[in-house]
Amino acid sequence: MLALQLTITGLQTGALYALTAVGFSLIFGSTRIFHFAHGATFIIAAYLFYFVNVSGYGVVLGIAAATAGAIAFGLLLNRFVYVPIQRDEGSFFTVFVASFGIGIVIQNIVGMIFGRGFVTVQTPLSFSVELMDGLYVSPLAWISMLCAVVFFGILWCFLRYSNLGLSLRALADNPELVKAFGLNPRYISACAFTIGSILVVPAAIISGATSGLNPAMGHHVMLISLAATIVGGIGSVAGTLLAGLALGLAESLALLYVDSQWTEAVTFAILFLFIIVRPSGLLGRSAAH
Amino acid sequence: MVSSQVDTQEVLMEIRNVDRAFGGVKAVDNVSMDLRAGIITTLVGPNGAGKTTLFNLITGELSKDSGTIKWLGQPINRIKPFQAARAGILRTFQDLRLFNEMSVEDNILTSIEANSVPLPMAKSQRKARREKVEYALSRTGLIDKRHIRAKDLAYAERKFLSMARVMATDARLWLLDEPASGLDPNSYEKFLEILREEVKQGVTVCIIEHNLDIVIGISDRIAFLDRGKLLADDEPQTVLNDPDLRAIYFGERT
Amino acid sequence: MEAYLLNLVILISIYSILASTLNFIMGYAGIYSLAHAVFFGVGAYAGTFVATHFSASIFFTLPAAMIAGAVLSLILALPALRVRGEYFVAASLGLQVLAVTIFSEWKSVTGGIGGLIGIPPLDIAGFEVFKPNQFVFVTVVGLIIVLFIINRLVHSSFGRSLRAIRDSESAAAAFGKNVPLIKTISVVISSALTAVAGVMYASYLSFINVESFTLDTSVLIMAMVIIGGTGTQAGPIIGAALLLLLPSLISYLDFLPQTEIGSIQQIIYGLGMALLMIYRPGGIVGLKKQSGGGKK
Ligand SMILES: Nc1ncnc2c1ncn2[C@@H]1O[C@H](COP(=O)(O)OP(=O)(O)OP(=O)(O)O)[C@@H](O)[C@H]1O
Ligand SMILES: [Mg+2]
Repeated sequence: MLALQLTITGLQTGALYALTAVGFSLIFGSTRIFHFAHGATFIIAAYLFYFVNVSGYGVVLGIAAATAGAIAFGLLLNRFVYVPIQRDEGSFFTVFVASFGIGIVIQNIVGMIFGRGFVTVQTPLSFSVELMDGLYVSPLAWISMLCAVVFFGILWCFLRYSNLGLSLRALADNPELVKAFGLNPRYISACAFTIGSILVVPAAIISGATSGLNPAMGHHVMLISLAATIVGGIGSVAGTLLAGLALGLAESLALLYVDSQWTEAVTFAILFLFIIVRPSGLLGRSAAH
Repeated sequence: MVSSQVDTQEVLMEIRNVDRAFGGVKAVDNVSMDLRAGIITTLVGPNGAGKTTLFNLITGELSKDSGTIKWLGQPINRIKPFQAARAGILRTFQDLRLFNEMSVEDNILTSIEANSVPLPMAKSQRKARREKVEYALSRTGLIDKRHIRAKDLAYAERKFLSMARVMATDARLWLLDEPASGLDPNSYEKFLEILREEVKQGVTVCIIEHNLDIVIGISDRIAFLDRGKLLADDEPQTVLNDPDLRAIYFGERT
Repeated sequence: MEAYLLNLVILISIYSILASTLNFIMGYAGIYSLAHAVFFGVGAYAGTFVATHFSASIFFTLPAAMIAGAVLSLILALPALRVRGEYFVAASLGLQVLAVTIFSEWKSVTGGIGGLIGIPPLDIAGFEVFKPNQFVFVTVVGLIIVLFIINRLVHSSFGRSLRAIRDSESAAAAFGKNVPLIKTISVVISSALTAVAGVMYASYLSFINVESFTLDTSVLIMAMVIIGGTGTQAGPIIGAALLLLLPSLISYLDFLPQTEIGSIQQIIYGLGMALLMIYRPGGIVGLKKQSGGGKK
């Protein structure tokens, strides 16, 4: 029974990890921007939802605010930080450092406004229901999985059938190609940031209602996103999805054997194993250079 | 800087049935050819023919799907780029890949230091190393620019630095990826002169080149690659006069 | 006032060692590590362990700490440096997170969250150093020695190889550099020297706990290097001095909420990192950004 309980919790966590990580992976894959502030997008969305909610404006407005905040942050960062850096030289690490710096700024501003401790959003959906003898599942678990299915369904159709989606994938494969076809890389990267940032929102909101929020969790979000991107195979959205799900499950099932403070160690172990044994990841192409 | 009389019939490198595909595209398709000592073999072919990929397969930058390559009679199929360099096979890159933040002099100096850890060096060794750097600097006309960062050089100077890095070494085989592209006539005269001189001193060269004047001017042998396939590997006159190849080369493909 | 200044100089020296050793891999080899505080911590715990269980002589504590740091870094570097740079960032972030858990849980060696108290002073050939005015001498000399070692390395063929790898890994390999080996050696050297700072720090405070070796510390060290100037010798020291002076400077500005000094400090250097990358990627000491220039 415990195993089943942990599997369901694991799927819930995994669904949220997958959404967050795919956001990062999509941006990184199609723009080569090492968007370390993706964790900050998560924080912004989560705290906006929390703020609107405790102010009594309800869930719908909360979701709207979180989404708008996430998109705005992604686009502004792209426009005012990444674009100027990339215009001149923009090595991978210059972008990384700038993004990292912005992440620190956001973490501390949020901490100054909302405090550095944990906060949780109480919703009627947070309470667990006893499904079977000893099996407690909160409706949020089903909502997480549903969100993942719906969002990935839409994303899949988009990447497969729309022109824009095809260009995003082309950009991931070969940046030269996109220029050759007369597409505007600026426009395409703005789209990548929009979509990538939207994908964070469900995970941010649901985490706020389940495990709680604190301003420093952006780093945890990034560790998961990076791990899932690498384990899944850099440049592969489907791989990142699978890896995110697997990481969530693994963390949860590990509780059968170890205490909860070691869950991040499980992520690290999996990441390390892949770097050693299969650096190209689950579904990736060769990673050596 | 290798000086010895070479037998131009000796086969330095033997390439046999080499394949490499990217996704569905066969970038190099069952290519077999020999690189003979002491001559210039020119690799020609339209854009995307697989020329650079062939270089990458030789040096181990990319892995082959199948086929074998022998260097001085020994198979070097799973060689890594740094081992290829230490075995005497050096290359330039189409996009140069200079050490941009380093000075011209340091670019050349580091190119002849293949050791991984700093080794104590005898005075004579240090002197020999300096001489090689000076030689490469003066031959390429970069002597006044020695302290300038590579990224601050003009285009032609960057091209010459890319050559200088190779010239200072003791490599036997040079794989040059479009080293003369975009050079003005003066510069490429100078470039050709350097190349001829080095070959006379015993270096073997395989060069990728698009400019027909240069191809005619330097080739001892021409290999023609198109869509991954080696269509010809012969005397310059034979290849250049073949009407089918000319049609492909000048884009009159049907 | 004198005590305050001595304390400041000691901390600046120790953090300058940390920043300079991080700069060695970051600025010269292009390896970005988010786990530098781990090696600082390993040095501190290993040195303390030897000092309390065996001998406080630096002829034992320093080698033990350096070996511990080197071995641990080898475990991180061997796999992670065979693949692209992004992997090292990820792996080091993972190691940092994991290390904090281990530092908090491995109570017999690290004292858990509570930490270790009563760490013996440095014993240099029988002479016990614990007064700040003696300790300042030791840390400054320590810094000078570390800087000397780094300086020799950077100006040798090894340093050229590192910079070549940073500028173009594939070209470095094409000229015979064994890139993974060279990177691994540089990480091992950097980590071993970092551990030295850990030993000094532990015996100076005579108390350590996991708080000093968290991700925040790694980030602070990285900020020191970047703001001071990556790939320069003076940059990391200037960065360390600047960021350690920042809290006192902030507390002079009384319109800022004094309880938030830590946050304000982090906001300033976070913003500093981002702005520098846009306008002056070389840092304060580094060269100004040149428009145009080469690619890759
Ligand atoms: N790393 C790679 N990944 C995917 N495809 C590649 C890669 N390298 C080369 N290709 C493809 O292989 C084919 C051959 O490319 P290659 O660079 O060898 O051509 P080339 O003959 O050097 O052309 P050019 O004259 O333009 O330099 C092209 O279709 C190219 O798109
Ligand atoms: Mg080419």
